[in-house]
Amino acid sequence: MAQAARSVTSPPTAAAENNLQPFFVLHKAAPPRKPTGKTRRRIDLSPQKADATVQVLDDNFRFESFNLLWCKIDCTMRNVLREINACVFEEIDRWVRESFDAIRACGVPNLARATRPHPIFNRAETAASRQLFTAILLTKNVEFVDDVLTFVDLGVHLRSSGCHVAQLTSLDFSAKNGVGGCLKTLLRQFLTVGIDAPDISILASWYTEQGNYESPLVVIIDDVQRCCGSVLSDFIIMLREWVIKIPIILIVGVATLDALRNTLASNALQGLFPRGFTLGTPAERMDAIVEAVLLKHYHGFSIGKQVTTFLRNFFLRHDGTLTSFIRALKIVMVQHLLVEPISFALVGLINEEDTKSFGGENTLLRETMVKRCLDLPSYQSRSSRSNRNGDIWDCGLSELKRFRKLWVCMAMCLYEVGKNYKITLLDLYCEMLEPELLNSGTSCHFELEKDDPSLFGGLQKGGFVNQIIQIVRGLPAVELCELLKSWETLTRSITKINEKVKELQSLTTFDENCPRRDLTETSKRHTAKSNVNGKRDGTTINEKVATFVDCTIRRYMQPIESIPFNEIVFFDNVDKLRTALIGDPRRRIQADLLESHKFLKCSCCSKNGSMPSPSMHDTSILYTLTQEHGDLINLHDWFQSFKSIISHPGSKAKQRLRLSPSPKKRKGSIEPRNRSDASIQAEFCRAITELQITGLIRMPSKRRPDYLQRVAFGL
Amino acid sequence: MESNDVEEEEFEFSRNYFLAKELGTSSKKSACKLSDINIVDEQELRDAYANLGPKHEKEINDLMNSYKKSYSEWVFILRCGFGLLMYGFGSKKFLIEDFASSALTDYSVVVINGYLQQIHLKQVVITLAELLWDQLKMHGKTTWENVPKNQPFNTKSMDDLIAFLDGPHLEDKECFVCVVVHNIDGPSLRDSDTQQYLARIAACSHIRVVASIDHVNAPLLWDKKMVHTQFNWYWLHVPTFAPYNIEGTFFPLILAHSGSAQTVKTASIVLQSLTPNAQSVFKVVAEHQLAHPNEEGMPLNNLYTFCRERFLVSSQITLNAHLTEFKDHELVKTRRNPDGQDCIYIPLTSEALEKLVQEIIH
Repeated sequence: MAQAARSVTSPPTAAAENNLQPFFVLHKAAPPRKPTGKTRRRIDLSPQKADATVQVLDDNFRFESFNLLWCKIDCTMRNVLREINACVFEEIDRWVRESFDAIRACGVPNLARATRPHPIFNRAETAASRQLFTAILLTKNVEFVDDVLTFVDLGVHLRSSGCHVAQLTSLDFSAKNGVGGCLKTLLRQFLTVGIDAPDISILASWYTEQGNYESPLVVIIDDVQRCCGSVLSDFIIMLREWVIKIPIILIVGVATLDALRNTLASNALQGLFPRGFTLGTPAERMDAIVEAVLLKHYHGFSIGKQVTTFLRNFFLRHDGTLTSFIRALKIVMVQHLLVEPISFALVGLINEEDTKSFGGENTLLRETMVKRCLDLPSYQSRSSRSNRNGDIWDCGLSELKRFRKLWVCMAMCLYEVGKNYKITLLDLYCEMLEPELLNSGTSCHFELEKDDPSLFGGLQKGGFVNQIIQIVRGLPAVELCELLKSWETLTRSITKINEKVKELQSLTTFDENCPRRDLTETSKRHTAKSNVNGKRDGTTINEKVATFVDCTIRRYMQPIESIPFNEIVFFDNVDKLRTALIGDPRRRIQADLLESHKFLKCSCCSKNGSMPSPSMHDTSILYTLTQEHGDLINLHDWFQSFKSIISHPGSKAKQRLRLSPSPKKRKGSIEPRNRSDASIQAEFCRAITELQITGLIRMPSKRRPDYLQRVAFGL
Repeated sequence: MESNDVEEEEFEFSRNYFLAKELGTSSKKSACKLSDINIVDEQELRDAYANLGPKHEKEINDLMNSYKKSYSEWVFILRCGFGLLMYGFGSKKFLIEDFASSALTDYSVVVINGYLQQIHLKQVVITLAELLWDQLKMHGKTTWENVPKNQPFNTKSMDDLIAFLDGPHLEDKECFVCVVVHNIDGPSLRDSDTQQYLARIAACSHIRVVASIDHVNAPLLWDKKMVHTQFNWYWLHVPTFAPYNIEGTFFPLILAHSGSAQTVKTASIVLQSLTPNAQSVFKVVAEHQLAHPNEEGMPLNNLYTFCRERFLVSSQITLNAHLTEFKDHELVKTRRNPDGQDCIYIPLTSEALEKLVQEIIH
């Protein structure tokens, strides 16, 4: 077969043959092109080929932008996750050292003994020395996929602190390969060579001979629940016997403590000397990621309300993994770069110093970009602006940046309040993107003066932003001081807001100068949420802060859609994202069949609405007919209906269909005019085969030879 | 509001299911038999089947062509590290191969025909490694530390090969081999071991996958780790409505007398996908049967001695492996002769068998 695959330089007639090869090489790579940089410059010299050039440049720039942007995001996310886990990793590292010392304390075998191919059984050994030190890492997450990276990071961390680390997965503990399988992987990782006949004594002699004696051996098994219990138990029992010679320390990942008890046999369980560690919850990580990626570190692109809400719901209701969230962000980025021709400017946005020299020395590109910019709808709606292209470009970008900075600053301030009150950042973020948030904003000052919570302008009643403002109103003075202090730090880069915060701060400090007792009383009253007191004191500092929050939201948190050039950074096409991320073959394939005319765009089939017409695709007709059946389809009836549709064009088909099929009569009455029985039957066969390939019907069983079974009900 | 939609949807779904169930039981079950249809002669049916013309040929072509403008997008998505997963009704074989040969010329492309009955992934991976090796050489990278090519790829283990494909050989992320998998949900790739291997291959830094699925339940083959971190699918809905000509070859025609006669065509297709030795073993049985048309078949131990003499098999175990394979594909059957010996025979007529033997020879 390999030969077959290698005979690539095939004549065209070989196409049919290739179809029956298990695999074949379609073509080999063309010789590599010259590096893109050079190509770019060369193309510059021939401006007459502008269009083609722009296309090539587009592709290259698009990819370069993607790499640059995604690397940054990826890097940020990895750092965030690493930071979250840093404490636990440190703790584990310390524990590994302690455990190693404990094993060593039981005695170090000499070289001669250690290389003997059997474990050491020492009468003097204590019970503890026959136990396997095991860290049980609670992932607190049903979905294991989120922790894959955590365990990789843990491995890197431990390696950097001088341990020998092997990482096994549940796939290594399969019943099929037995203990040999996981031992093989273990040896492969420690010894970095493949060994055909794995034996633990090989590891023992490697450990002694290589002078690796000073460092512990750590074995990380990431997902214990999915391992084959008996194999894992055998593996643990084996390691335990060798623990003096090979000081292996085990780290296992579990979702719950019960998991270990359920998976392992009791004698293996007894051999463990466990210590528990806990990782952060997915929700915590999610907030940290959202904060880092979407707010703190600006990566040049914004997702709109719809996309964010979709991602949030997908995370909370469907998938529940951070990994899919990150993947979705990546898809968003790809789609944004694909859809929006001007989106390469993102690179300019994140590279401060590069804004002006966007496109490098390439004037052609710069001109094209500026031209495209002028076509953006968001710009055209404000066409009264300066006409000089360069200005437009620079102004536009800097305005976008300024806007973004304000928005993020406000968002962080709000989150600062909400995070102590179990408001997740993702929820808050979704709400803050709501364009309606500010709709009735102009008269807010007056409304606020009236101090009626129900009149918070356009803010959603009961929404998170509203809730936050309420929280600010009820905040005890001490906490309020703290809050203002943190706001002061957050807003430092924006003088306008910062000054106001300082102003408010000075008010609180003024209050602080008042007798202490008074202050605590006020705070007590606030925590008790006494309305009467609230009104009197509210006009003081809390109310002022609340007013400040509300007004700054209105003034500075404009929806990004309203900013010129927003297309460069803004993406909100939720349908596109959904189809790329989820893909719903079950629904889509059925819809394809039931609405084939929508895709084929033919004039002949759409007339009858949902009624099958003879011109339709055979499989489509057949599948439309299944909708009239129950879960079992009589093959004979089905064939007759199919036949009547195929052989009778137009309205007749409809009537025929309605008649209850009485096969005997029909056989006589139907005279196929232009189609032979054979061809109709062949068409029927083909349609059924195609339905079978899509998995929409189950074939007749021996017990029910005349019936097929429907598999899908409803879209 | 949205939660309402979801609930409604779920309700709708269950309602549909129960309605369908009800329809099946309450209304009188139609007692018509398949045999009531005046089924034409099998050969005639097969001829008609082979000559079936496409409907809406023009529209299907237009639809296919309409995807052409997305090719550059697809390449970009691949370059960004995603795997393309194409789904939607209709054969996507032509579409994907057209895409690969027109838009992926910078990369080597290997096609796996998942709709076939048997595929040895190891062979595929060896080919991939060889292609990558060539490609790296073209990029002027001939030496590197961690993978000395002192031993040919076909003697390396799967783990080593995958490690090679995943190696950080080049800073440039642009050097990859593209694997096209037609019907990644196909019969030979459907088991979980194969899917795990495919996922591991797909996760390699120098590999990109373009795959198609046809079965509505195909996503059940993968867990979240595979979907999100290994395959990293980017779903593309590309209904083509093109006939499943090749993919459907292996399905029995429902109106043909199912299973009664293996046709020469399917048998030869299955045989061609087997190893040369297996083919020769089959030929031995066939020739014996042609020479002794009135016997029950070739006695098992005669077959073994004969095959051993010709160096076709080295032990009974290998012969049995071949025979099991034949039996699985219903190429041979066993029956006893009057002496009580187990005999192997091929359930085909002499003429069909002759034709088949000739086809294998070519």
